[in-house]
Amino acid sequence: MPNEQKLDDSDRFNLMLALTGLLVQGEEYEIADLVKHFGVSKNEIIKAVKMISFTDLMSFNDFGHYLVDYDDLDDGYVSIKYDFSNAVDEVPRLSSRQASALAAGLVYLSSLPGLVDNSEIEELQKILASGDSRGAAPEVIIKPGSRDADLVIIRDAMAKGVAISCDYLNLRGVTTIGRVIEPLRIDPQGETIYLRGWCPESQDVRSFRVDRMRNAKATEIAISAEARAAVLSDEIYSPAETDSIVTVEVDPEAYSLIFDFKPVEEPESISAFVKRFKIKVGDVRNLGRIIARFGGAARVIAPESAKAAVREFALKAIGENSPSAPRDVE
Amino acid sequence: MTNKPSNEYKVSKPERLFSLTCALLYTTRGLTKTEILRSVRGYDTEYVEGGDNSSLERKFERDKESLRHNGIQLEARIPAHEDENNQATVYLIKRESFYWPKDIKFTPRQLALLNLAAEAWAGGSLSTAASRGITKLRAMGSVGEDSDIVGIAPRIQAYEPSFRDLNNAVSDYQVVQFDYRNPQTGEIMTRTLQPWLLRQVAGQWLVMGFDELRQDTRNFMLRRIVSKVTAVKAGKDSVSFEPPAKHLIDAAVADLDALAQKQTALLRVKPDTEAWFRFELDLSSAKHTGEVELHYHDIYVLAEQLREYANEIEVVRPESLAALIRAGFEKVADQHA
Repeated sequence: MPNEQKLDDSDRFNLMLALTGLLVQGEEYEIADLVKHFGVSKNEIIKAVKMISFTDLMSFNDFGHYLVDYDDLDDGYVSIKYDFSNAVDEVPRLSSRQASALAAGLVYLSSLPGLVDNSEIEELQKILASGDSRGAAPEVIIKPGSRDADLVIIRDAMAKGVAISCDYLNLRGVTTIGRVIEPLRIDPQGETIYLRGWCPESQDVRSFRVDRMRNAKATEIAISAEARAAVLSDEIYSPAETDSIVTVEVDPEAYSLIFDFKPVEEPESISAFVKRFKIKVGDVRNLGRIIARFGGAARVIAPESAKAAVREFALKAIGENSPSAPRDVE
Repeated sequence: MTNKPSNEYKVSKPERLFSLTCALLYTTRGLTKTEILRSVRGYDTEYVEGGDNSSLERKFERDKESLRHNGIQLEARIPAHEDENNQATVYLIKRESFYWPKDIKFTPRQLALLNLAAEAWAGGSLSTAASRGITKLRAMGSVGEDSDIVGIAPRIQAYEPSFRDLNNAVSDYQVVQFDYRNPQTGEIMTRTLQPWLLRQVAGQWLVMGFDELRQDTRNFMLRRIVSKVTAVKAGKDSVSFEPPAKHLIDAAVADLDALAQKQTALLRVKPDTEAWFRFELDLSSAKHTGEVELHYHDIYVLAEQLREYANEIEVVRPESLAALIRAGFEKVADQHA
């Protein structure tokens, strides 16, 4: 279940519609279950139920209330009875935007191998289209490129609760054959799929890019208690004390860097659409390829050592040597 | 057990919208604006009989907009005998446009998939729409049952500032304008577009639609939009367009895919490098040539992707791709001198 969200007026109205649609079916629910089911706080559920109960249609009818027992509410239970029909008495449809956002999310899921059958997605898409108030088709299509079969193996291993082994090419370009990883969670982020896993060797959580793996196999080794107890942060990259701070400037064509790097503070607008921000970098030598790939749309402003790393990478790529560039130690 | 709030209680916006929805669903003949303001909870206490209710009327206009954004189709009718008399306009919500078709219920697994689809937008451009949508859908799934989908936390990446405005324009059939940078010349031009669809191709977001300048369907890459996306206005109102026929959209999608089928690049890849992994060359195969052929939509995006592997690959063809990669590196070297 998602973390409890912060609600604004439109969210609350939306929650009231949904709750009414559910509760008028006549069943009694534990508030704690509703909190879990809707992913909002207990307070928001109670507030929404109370607001529903304040509604009246007395001006149009002799009766007209959603009836809620406040004693039950205090005891942690909720049910709604109503003494009129033809107001909100079922779950309302989605708006086009709501349907479209969910449909796009489903298409994204369907691109991840081994997670869902296309038939499952198609069925859900059909239901969504029927519940879109305009009956419209999805407005957003996401269809990433090729995907690794390795992901299917990883998901199988996770289901069985065992570690995997694979050949892994690390950032420095070194391949480890038969590296053992205890898989904990798969984090697909746009085009890149990460495996968050426990590394038994370093006794720590590590992030692995699935596209740098080869020959993944499920092992017989059960996922350890240490791995199961590990806490996964939302961030793929955890900054270290030794990281350098680098200032980068980007045109819109390279805005993706802002999201890849999670700047240390809000990006600053330099001109209409040029942004400047500071990032933490473990090893500035890795910056060369990351910046140079944009062919000019991303620029390192400081420090000098990071600029030199980018220059070095670009010059080496076109077969020239940079006299002032630092020697690569490794 | 009628529930009444205390006298000083101020009716909040969600509560007013809910009461308005109930009243408009309940009525079969429709309610006039005056009837609504006089009797619906949230307006009624502020209504002045025979006085100036203009601020309350503005509130009602905003509320109508809020209902529409929530997918509620408000209908406005002028009764036949009142011919052209705007004051007589009545409002109502038709039940069949409001509710789901009968008997839709989600299994725990389906609901879990939909949850995951909504969560994939977390913090992203459509997160609000997705989370409101999933709230409604949850009301149609069983409370308290768990599913088998665990251990995956997907994130859709749509960071372009224009994404949300374009998506809204697609939903509302609104003609938009933006400045677009040509990747070849760097020239910036204002374009006017009837946006049909947002589409991600090879990791890049495109908006597809009818380009009013070229009078033809065109694709624009969101990352090359270098201005705000604004609605085109005629006087005070935004200009909207006729929803495109489905076959036109399908044809435009197919055209773009056909383009990628037609455009290929041939690369030679150094064995055992990251590029080797990236292009999924089989390490164990005894006779690999190290050559790989790629299809591409956009040569500039491909050049960018390949620059990352500059020292591990050689572009065999097309020559223009090799030149583009090199020109980019020269520019970078200059910028970082």
